[in-house]
Amino acid sequence: MEELFTYYDIFATKGVEYLIIIVFLVIVLVFWKFVNMRPY
Amino acid sequence: MDDKTVIADIKSIGDFWAFLKSELKPRGNIATPFNIISLPIMLLGYVFIVYRLAVGLGRPVTNLNQEYPWGLWIGFDVVTGVAFAGGAYVLCFIVYILRTEKYHAIIRATVLNGFLAYLFYAGAIVLDIGRWWNIYNPMIGNDFGVNAVMFLVAWHFFLYMLAELVEFSPAIAEWVGLRRLRKILGAMTLGAVIFGITLSTLHQSGLGALMMMAKSKIHPLWYTEFIPILYFVSSIFAGLSMVIFEGSISHKVFGHQLDEAHHKHYDDILVGLARICAVTMFGYLFLKVLLIVHEHAVQYINTTMGFWWLFEVIGFVLIPCLMFISGAQQKNTATIKFAAILTMLGIILNRLNYTFIVYNWYVPLSEKYWPAPMELVITASIILSEIWVFRWMVNRMPVLKEPPAWAVEKEH
Amino acid sequence: MDRRTFLKIIGTGVAGATTGNLLRPERASASLGLSGREFYGILVDTTRCIGCRRCEKACAEVNGLPVPDISESKNESVLKKMRKTSDTEYTVINSYKTEKGTIFVPKRCMHCNQPGCAAACLVKAMKKRQTGQVTWDSNCIGCRLCMISCPFDIPKFEYGKAMPRIQKCNLCYDRYNKGELPGCVEVCPTQALVFGSRRQTLEEGKRRIAANPNKYIKHIYGEYEVGGTSHLYLSSVPFEQIGFRKDLGTRPYPEYSTGFLYAVPFIFVLWPIAMLGINRATKGNGKGKEEHHG
Repeated sequence: MEELFTYYDIFATKGVEYLIIIVFLVIVLVFWKFVNMRPY
Repeated sequence: MDDKTVIADIKSIGDFWAFLKSELKPRGNIATPFNIISLPIMLLGYVFIVYRLAVGLGRPVTNLNQEYPWGLWIGFDVVTGVAFAGGAYVLCFIVYILRTEKYHAIIRATVLNGFLAYLFYAGAIVLDIGRWWNIYNPMIGNDFGVNAVMFLVAWHFFLYMLAELVEFSPAIAEWVGLRRLRKILGAMTLGAVIFGITLSTLHQSGLGALMMMAKSKIHPLWYTEFIPILYFVSSIFAGLSMVIFEGSISHKVFGHQLDEAHHKHYDDILVGLARICAVTMFGYLFLKVLLIVHEHAVQYINTTMGFWWLFEVIGFVLIPCLMFISGAQQKNTATIKFAAILTMLGIILNRLNYTFIVYNWYVPLSEKYWPAPMELVITASIILSEIWVFRWMVNRMPVLKEPPAWAVEKEH
Repeated sequence: MDRRTFLKIIGTGVAGATTGNLLRPERASASLGLSGREFYGILVDTTRCIGCRRCEKACAEVNGLPVPDISESKNESVLKKMRKTSDTEYTVINSYKTEKGTIFVPKRCMHCNQPGCAAACLVKAMKKRQTGQVTWDSNCIGCRLCMISCPFDIPKFEYGKAMPRIQKCNLCYDRYNKGELPGCVEVCPTQALVFGSRRQTLEEGKRRIAANPNKYIKHIYGEYEVGGTSHLYLSSVPFEQIGFRKDLGTRPYPEYSTGFLYAVPFIFVLWPIAMLGINRATKGNGKGKEEHHG
């Protein structure tokens, strides 16, 4: 009996990763403005 | 300055068209030697481009074949061109992140060159890809090949062009005289710079990563899993060498826009750039040695290809590195400029090596690739067209000359 | 590339029944009824190939390519030269003079388990189908990176056309969906080409080697090369002697680019953070509060 052969997609998560990066860049922009805000 | 600076006073679309029309008029002598030589080449190139679109990429348009899918257009126009445009992100890092004011004088010209380079090399890409009408596919999701390095490179080119445009746009706003726009764009500069440097890091290395799956075809002295890092590091001194080279020409051609202090200051800039190049190249040299040891390739040094490797590394990296050091120490700008040219030749050699020289290096001579005449003409046409656009913009916008008094920048 | 996880589902009844089906093309439809999605491929037994080139002719007919002349005399002259696949030939036979006589080897796309071409494609025009076939689609932009990324140099480009395509064997994906065998398998007179699931073809290859230990080299080319392929080859001589590269390794080709691709998100996060930090830290290093360009 053959051992089980499993194929998996090594790039399966790349789409989600790119989306997370885009979200991050938007958030970091907001975060930077916040960090630079003068305390009033 | 004896330059005719058109004062733009735009209050409507009609004003804008009139302004643009007046700006399109040629300045100065039309029949210069440069124009007389470049214009026929450009026009011939445009004819060839139409022919290429009509008949495809086979002979006589290109010499590409099944063994060599990438040739001059990808190897030189795109891959080498992008390395040369790297001066923009390096200088932006130095000026906007490290706040080294010394180089502020040349930042606009460098960013403009970077933007135009990517714009025209994107054009070269459109010409090279066989099914160019599908070029928007990776953008619109037909399909998003997130598995592909090329997907990343394509998107980065596009986003980087936008970032560069934003970085340069204050100059355009000053040209057109729109003050509020100028303020808004100025505030976006830091964000565009940071975005641009991140993108550049990834697509400069990404262009190297494109070759990772060609492991069985690239000679072991050049193939390594760290090709992306080599491409990134070499893009630093490639870009700065181009800044030195192009800057020297610009300063001669557009020298009338600059005052005496500026000219003197420029020599300091050259020395500084030379130092940065020397240090980076020094590190790069050690990386090259480290990697041929790591890849068990040292045994190949004693072969024909080994000699070719030594030719590239010693002749076009080690020697210009030493020249940069010497030129910087003695403040000899002629040495520095010559070192820059040698470095650029080395980058061309390195990138073309990966594209079609040490790629499939074992293929018999009869099947090897060298550029076809039409490929050369079209390449020349693209580069000359870019120079014409650059010249048009530098003669009209505050790139080398002082911006208008109202465009004072606060510290960013 | 698809996102499913594959498990080979092996029923005890199936193994015996399908081995018989492998050798009789007319019963092939039974082998398509296996449960689960498995990769399908072809076992190429070079000891059985007689170099008749009927596979080349059938392939051309099935795919609308120029049909070759495969008369005896024509074959003799054609087989004198080493041939590669081309933009009009998805499969070619080459003849090799070896210590065991003349050996004929059909060359075509290996349909790798993890294809470099599919990993390279920025629009997923090159795709590994769920049933194993690696196919090309017309959303392709013609960048030719798949050609660079294939360790077997298979994808070919129609340079001479205004609307060029990438050309290569697609394991008769359309015919498979209609329940038919690949064109080459159907006409092979000696069953040098045998179609089935990868599990089946691998089993059959091992069975043949075990049954005839003196006839075959104890190696199935494509079992582990570049992470495994769906075209598997048997040989009576070492594979280097019949035109196969032995230096391709067992690592799937896409994994050569994952080093870089996996680093991308980290650079995207760390570079902006670092630069914002440095920009903040160097505040006050400028010439002063107000400065000009130029």
